[in-house]
Amino acid sequence: MLAYAIRRMGYGILVVLGVLFFLFVLFFAVTSPDDVARKALGERVPDSVVEQWKINHGYDKPLFPGPGRWTDNMLVDHYRRMLTFDFGRSDADDTPIMDRITRGAGPSLTLTVPLFLLSLFTGIPLALLVAFFRETYIDRLGVVIAVLAMSVSILLYIIGAQYLIGKLLHWFPISGFDTDPRVIARFLALPILVGVLSGIGGDIRFYRTVFLEESNTDYVRTARAKGCGEARIMSVHVFRNSLIPLLTQVVVAIPFLFTGSLLLESFFGIPGLGAMTVDAIQGNDFSVLRTMVYIGSLLFVVGQVLTDLSYGLVDPRVRFE
Amino acid sequence: MESHVVSNWVVVALGLASLAAIVLVRRSRIWSDAFVQLWRRRRLALFVAGIYVGIALLDSVAWVGGADGNADAVSVHESRSVIDRLFGGNQERSYSAPFADVEFYGAQPLAHPGSHILGTDLIGRDVFYLALKGARVALLIGGLTSLLAIPLALLFGVSAGYFGGRIDTVVFFVMSTLASMPGLLLLIALIMVMGKSTFAVCVALAVTGWVGFCRIARGETLKLRELEYVSAARALGVSELQIVMRHILPNLMHLVIITFVLMFSGLVLSEAILSWLGIGVDGSWGQMIDQARNELSRDPIVWWNISAAGIALFGLILAVNFIGDALRDVLDPRTLQGNE
Amino acid sequence: MRGAVACSVLLGALLACTNNPYPSEDDDRKVLYTTFSEAPRSLDPAVAYDVGAHAITGAVYDTLLEYHYLKRPYTLIPGLALDLPESRPGEADGSTVYRFELRPGVLYQEDPAFTIDGSGRRTRPVLAADVAFQLARLADPTVNSPVIEPFSHVAGFQAFGERLVERRKADPDFAARPVHEQYAELGGIPGVRVEGDHVLEVEVASDYPQILYWFAMQFTTPVPWEAIAYYDGEEGRPRFDDHPVGTGPFVLSHYDKQSRMVLDANPNWYGVQHPEWRAPGAVYPSEGEPEDVAAGRLDPSIAGSPLPFLERIVYLREQEAIPYFNKFLQGYYDAAGVIKESFDRVISQGRLSPAMAGMDISLEKGVEPTVFYLGFNLEDETIGLPAGDDGRRIRQAMSLVIDTEEYTRIFSNSRGVPAQSPLPPGIFGYDENYENPYRRVDLERAQQLMVEAGYPGGVDAETGKPLVLTFDTYDTYDTSSQGLLQFRFFTDAWRKLGIDVQVEATNYNQFQEKVRNGDYQIFMWGWVADYPDPENFLFLLWSEMARSKGGPNTANFSNPRYDELYLSMKSRANGPERLAEIREMLAILETERPWIELVHREDYSLYHGWLDHVKPFGMSFSTSKYLDLDPGVRTARRLEWNRPILWPIWAGLGLGVALIVPGIVTFMRERQ
Repeated sequence: MLAYAIRRMGYGILVVLGVLFFLFVLFFAVTSPDDVARKALGERVPDSVVEQWKINHGYDKPLFPGPGRWTDNMLVDHYRRMLTFDFGRSDADDTPIMDRITRGAGPSLTLTVPLFLLSLFTGIPLALLVAFFRETYIDRLGVVIAVLAMSVSILLYIIGAQYLIGKLLHWFPISGFDTDPRVIARFLALPILVGVLSGIGGDIRFYRTVFLEESNTDYVRTARAKGCGEARIMSVHVFRNSLIPLLTQVVVAIPFLFTGSLLLESFFGIPGLGAMTVDAIQGNDFSVLRTMVYIGSLLFVVGQVLTDLSYGLVDPRVRFE
Repeated sequence: MESHVVSNWVVVALGLASLAAIVLVRRSRIWSDAFVQLWRRRRLALFVAGIYVGIALLDSVAWVGGADGNADAVSVHESRSVIDRLFGGNQERSYSAPFADVEFYGAQPLAHPGSHILGTDLIGRDVFYLALKGARVALLIGGLTSLLAIPLALLFGVSAGYFGGRIDTVVFFVMSTLASMPGLLLLIALIMVMGKSTFAVCVALAVTGWVGFCRIARGETLKLRELEYVSAARALGVSELQIVMRHILPNLMHLVIITFVLMFSGLVLSEAILSWLGIGVDGSWGQMIDQARNELSRDPIVWWNISAAGIALFGLILAVNFIGDALRDVLDPRTLQGNE
Repeated sequence: MRGAVACSVLLGALLACTNNPYPSEDDDRKVLYTTFSEAPRSLDPAVAYDVGAHAITGAVYDTLLEYHYLKRPYTLIPGLALDLPESRPGEADGSTVYRFELRPGVLYQEDPAFTIDGSGRRTRPVLAADVAFQLARLADPTVNSPVIEPFSHVAGFQAFGERLVERRKADPDFAARPVHEQYAELGGIPGVRVEGDHVLEVEVASDYPQILYWFAMQFTTPVPWEAIAYYDGEEGRPRFDDHPVGTGPFVLSHYDKQSRMVLDANPNWYGVQHPEWRAPGAVYPSEGEPEDVAAGRLDPSIAGSPLPFLERIVYLREQEAIPYFNKFLQGYYDAAGVIKESFDRVISQGRLSPAMAGMDISLEKGVEPTVFYLGFNLEDETIGLPAGDDGRRIRQAMSLVIDTEEYTRIFSNSRGVPAQSPLPPGIFGYDENYENPYRRVDLERAQQLMVEAGYPGGVDAETGKPLVLTFDTYDTYDTSSQGLLQFRFFTDAWRKLGIDVQVEATNYNQFQEKVRNGDYQIFMWGWVADYPDPENFLFLLWSEMARSKGGPNTANFSNPRYDELYLSMKSRANGPERLAEIREMLAILETERPWIELVHREDYSLYHGWLDHVKPFGMSFSTSKYLDLDPGVRTARRLEWNRPILWPIWAGLGLGVALIVPGIVTFMRERQ
């Protein structure tokens, strides 16, 4: 088991290093630091200020290692800074990126965690329901509605919900955010509703397939032949045994809860990491963008490694694959 | 070569390819059965998808000249497609409602009263015409991206799965690296660095999209490689290339088609999000939605722009999703079992 | 765990349906709710130059001079200064000395940067040296102030900056010391002299009477050196960019620039501490324009009342226009600009629509001192000065097909004054009756000009190829889907001449590259005046300001006669000679067409009946201390306008049940 764990973690580290190299090529080798500096400082500043800015942001070194500069170059710097979580300051407005991340993580999580749980707790029961009534019109209707729901662009969901629920029906604020516990819930209601609605079609369809596959396995047929009630079959046999494929799917999504939702956060004015990323995109702030990609990948890899290790603990076959 | 000439040749090539596909399908019993089943189950969806494809093709056949009354001084020198010639040119000055005779605000008379079945947009373009033009963009995004991503995925997936060893290690590493980056962010980063153009958007979508399919192709090839007839072929001394071409690839075809269809709707929906970020493709429905998203707060409300784009987008995605669903049921034996 | 909490919170929200975004405790306080769209880059008054930042710095920092709130044309009044400065000729030839006398006894806001004084307060009085310190900061290249150029008229200003740079380079010990010591060691700017605690003399070397306007902007506010030394971003302290320390009517009490900024009334403000002074900048004005009487802004009961009226101002970030405007309509913002999407329901024929008036919403209009224009790069071979008369004819023809009335009608609902020249209304030299012969629409004449230029029907007579030009833009705003429609409007107009103008929406870096190489042809730009003087507009076309020399004259316009007139006009006082010179300059622009002038923007602001004394102010100047509101009326209206409509919930539930129950019933029957 230890050997497996070391192997698996080593591979995870390799992948993270690969991601960092990819980011380096994209954001340093292809884009010139001078342009980034000019963009941030404006056109009329003297060259000395640009040079100072590049030094402050660590963009003043040669790109690749070479004779005499094996450690003093941007590639090594990039790795060193990213791996030690020293993200420096934003290209666009000079705020420390780490500060912004710690400030944005809270709002993001308050949106994504309930959204994630609510999606699970509506999607799975509905899919069970549809699978239970398979081959009837409830099943067919359910599938049709699911396909309809997943064919609408999320932009339309957001625009429609803000218009209908926020503006016409006055249920919740159209957008906004405040960490004040007295009002936070009413701000989250609408984005969570939209998030659940836009995702539920795909979820139901996916869970339904899993449940149907499971309900055609031999042991389920046996149970049915023995006269076991359909409700019991669904809840005990099918549901329990579908948990592993479901969990695999669900666990993968967890790391990305942290990075927030680009669209929901920025349409609903929630100052989380998603909105921050959109700002970075619109302001050409490469430093924030690459940091967010890196953090996203890092979380993903960590999540994957942990999942695999727990499988390895449970199921000895995995270790020898 | 000018772009409209390229586009015309593409249409010819597509025509020939689909002829070839029809011939091939008719020759193979499995495929023609599958098609018959699909037709029986999803007649409407196929019909709708066909209309979209037809519009896109009509919009791709273009030539210069043949001035009509609506052409301005520049468009005489430009190539215009069949759709441009049929529906373009009835320019107004600003918003007008569907079938209206006067402008929406200010009630000035229109240049082409009653001719706009879906009204006109902010700068007076016919919305029906714009919605039709969107079909070509959507199919271009889906098609070009798939054309880039699927061969790439097949090449890497099959060689990794079939040859294993070092190739597999490298391909698997690249796949893990790409897959671990948040998809949408990677997409945006690529477009921002490459610059904004239709081609850049498609390349970025392909880079982020090929991984999923590559994994499927690799897994399936691993299974196929162990099958008896492949081992037999290998024992008989058939060359590796021939085995791959004759025994592996044909058995991946159903996966290619299913993946293509399922990927397609995702790509077109992603483009809508890119449009919202200002890095989408010119003339797409996503861009129309983005341009119109503030119109809902106009009063009296301007609804036709966002509805036209939204419904056009929804219709295509819905048809494709239904076809994809049915295709999976028909072609993929695993889920076939599930539905019995 | 966190999820469970959030879920229960969510459930709570569903039970207590309301769209009120604020805690109800604040309902009866004088809290103004307003918005900002872009996060301010910096709140350092030496640097801040954008509208979002000025909303904060204008309220946190006081200036020596201010504008009169109600009087038009804009009039300067004393702020922190006791009176408008006296001027006298300086010792050097042609120089002028301005003598400012500051109010003694003005305190800074309470701040940890100040060590505790004898009375136990963390503050200190304002000194003339603080203004001199701030002026030295403007000259310091590392501060990177955007206004170095206009302040270069101050004697020895630029030389001071250069000396600073040299000394820092030569002497690392010097560079490591706090900046106020560095400035002091170099003796400060020679043209800025501190005469005692409260007197400051500024010597302007060349003739530049406009300098006084700069003393009404936050660039010249007193800044305590303690704050610069303390807020350095080290050891958890914020940077001075993010933590202003000033003397103004408000203090910044919460600053999350991505989402929320809060200003609270400053108990240390001189208007609050010393109401007996009745300082002009600290009491509500008693005179104004006739329209102010009609709008109730000159009610005798408020004239002379001490400012400010508000307890708190909350700025919330709104990036999307619709939510912002709808929240205004729901009463959750007290004032709003009119967004173009909602214009028609708000305003019909230039007046407030009956529905709006019924909600007791009022409209205030004002032309801003701005000009928006399409510019040509005059260094271009095809359409610029190298193309000689033909290039000019093309520019004239292109100008003759852009219909500004139509442009404003479509994109801003006829809001804005079609521009005939760079000078907007309210600026000396603007002539209401002036009509630029190239700024009306005349397609035939334009086509004729194209023929004369050698491009009949847009086709080059020599090569037989159509004329293709590029329109270069870079901003994310410009390349957004909505921005693109505007470019479509212009290119469609030029297509009528047979000119195929391609919009090239590149990213910023590529745009920079193009500008550096002079590789651009047409661009769109706008200018918002720093101060109400024609010089501030006409300098945009002075050849010394050319973009190729690093200036804001992006058109690279260069005309010897224009330059000559500009230099002469610049230093003159308003009068007939100045007017004649301006007229001649405008006549040159009229035929040379470096720009196609589009529009002088008009500000339409809406505000609810409970908000008092609103008057749009075109110049960058914070008016928040003059505003007042009635929280009682506001709370009542909000409740009335936002009753949740709940029947769709029951209808939806009913429909769901109706769909599913028959299915279950048949299913059960079959099973049995």
